[in-house]
Amino acid sequence: MTATPKVLVVDDEERFRLTLAKLLAVRGLDVTTLGSGQEALEALRQKDFDVIVLDVRMPGMNGIETLAEIKKINPMIEVIILTGHASVDVAVDIMKLGGYDYLLKPCSLEELTDKIDSAFERKLAREPQDRR
Amino acid sequence: MSKRKPKPAATPPHLVLCYAVTVILFLCAVQFVVASAKLLAVGSLVVALLSLMTTRHLLSKVERAQRQQSLLDAQLIQSQKMAAVGEMSSGIAHEINNPLAIIGQEVEWLRHLMGNLNTQGLDGFSECIDSMNEIGKQVERCREITHRLLSFARKMDPLIQRVDINKLIEDMTRLVEREAVQKGVRIIRDYWADLPQVSTDAPLLRQVILNLLNNAVYAIGRDGNITLTTRLAASDALEIAVSDDGCGIPKENLDKIFDPFFTTKPPGEGTGLGLSLCHVIIERLGGYFSVTSEVNKGTTFTIRLPL
Repeated sequence: MTATPKVLVVDDEERFRLTLAKLLAVRGLDVTTLGSGQEALEALRQKDFDVIVLDVRMPGMNGIETLAEIKKINPMIEVIILTGHASVDVAVDIMKLGGYDYLLKPCSLEELTDKIDSAFERKLAREPQDRR
Repeated sequence: MSKRKPKPAATPPHLVLCYAVTVILFLCAVQFVVASAKLLAVGSLVVALLSLMTTRHLLSKVERAQRQQSLLDAQLIQSQKMAAVGEMSSGIAHEINNPLAIIGQEVEWLRHLMGNLNTQGLDGFSECIDSMNEIGKQVERCREITHRLLSFARKMDPLIQRVDINKLIEDMTRLVEREAVQKGVRIIRDYWADLPQVSTDAPLLRQVILNLLNNAVYAIGRDGNITLTTRLAASDALEIAVSDDGCGIPKENLDKIFDPFFTTKPPGEGTGLGLSLCHVIIERLGGYFSVTSEVNKGTTFTIRLPL
């Protein structure tokens, strides 16, 4: 039985996250959207997520800072960072903080869903079997 | 547009003094001749000649130093230009990526919606689909441009390793050769035997060589020759030259070709980023990148790299 990942999309551009949510939903994913790192952290205290898709450039808490905080709350959550540019330093920061991977914006829907799927697979593999 | 004549380089005051002394010595020689003091006349003539030779030698040295200085200045101005453009273009590319991402997604969503519509007998619907696909294609094209812009601007830390230059060039040549041959373009290799290995970044250098080869093929069009030369230029440097007998570059464009976005290709065929990127790369590798060209005769790009 293939479980459906619970996905959280965090991006300050409203139209971007709303349309992305619709696109992911028709592919059968359970999607929630939020507009800032702060809101994401508050939501995490209430709900559990499997994969979080995070924009790197946001006002307030940026993606990297949010990633660090997410890992403190629940290190098992896999985080995918969406970034406007690929720089080696940013990639290293992401990996050091335990991020799953990053994608260059704009990316195709296929790329994103593939990444979400593999991130979810890794989460399932890492979770202890008796955790229910 | 009138071209201003370059001002002749001002002669430094010390050289003026040297010339003055030389003239005085000649006058002394004349004076001694008139006064029939033969020994003194010959003596001062010899000294006058020596003075003249020294002065001319000094002058040529000064001129050479000035020429080198202006070459270095030009290189510095170019790299400063690059840095400024790099900053600006990176900011713009970031800004554009967000709306691009949204447009791309809306196209995806439209595709999904249109897939669900009952379009039996709906006139002109296929044209809607076609237009929408075109939007998607153009978004993809913009994406390539912004990603190229960003890779131009980002801080590239070259990954240094020992590289066999002849082999690297040969690899890139083989990539280009098949297509070139079909256009009647012959590639001639003139590699220096036993060229020592260089400490440099192979992928970045491959990018440069490939770019130059593609430019050369484009410049020739049909039926021509490209010559690849490698040689040891000094005990601590080697030179790579990519030469073609194509259309050449007009004089007024020569100092613009390394500028970002400068291109003579029709729209859609080139972004104008290739040569400016090459220049940045070679500079980061500690080398010099230069060009000579003559319209309808050909162009030669020279890369000088430290060993």
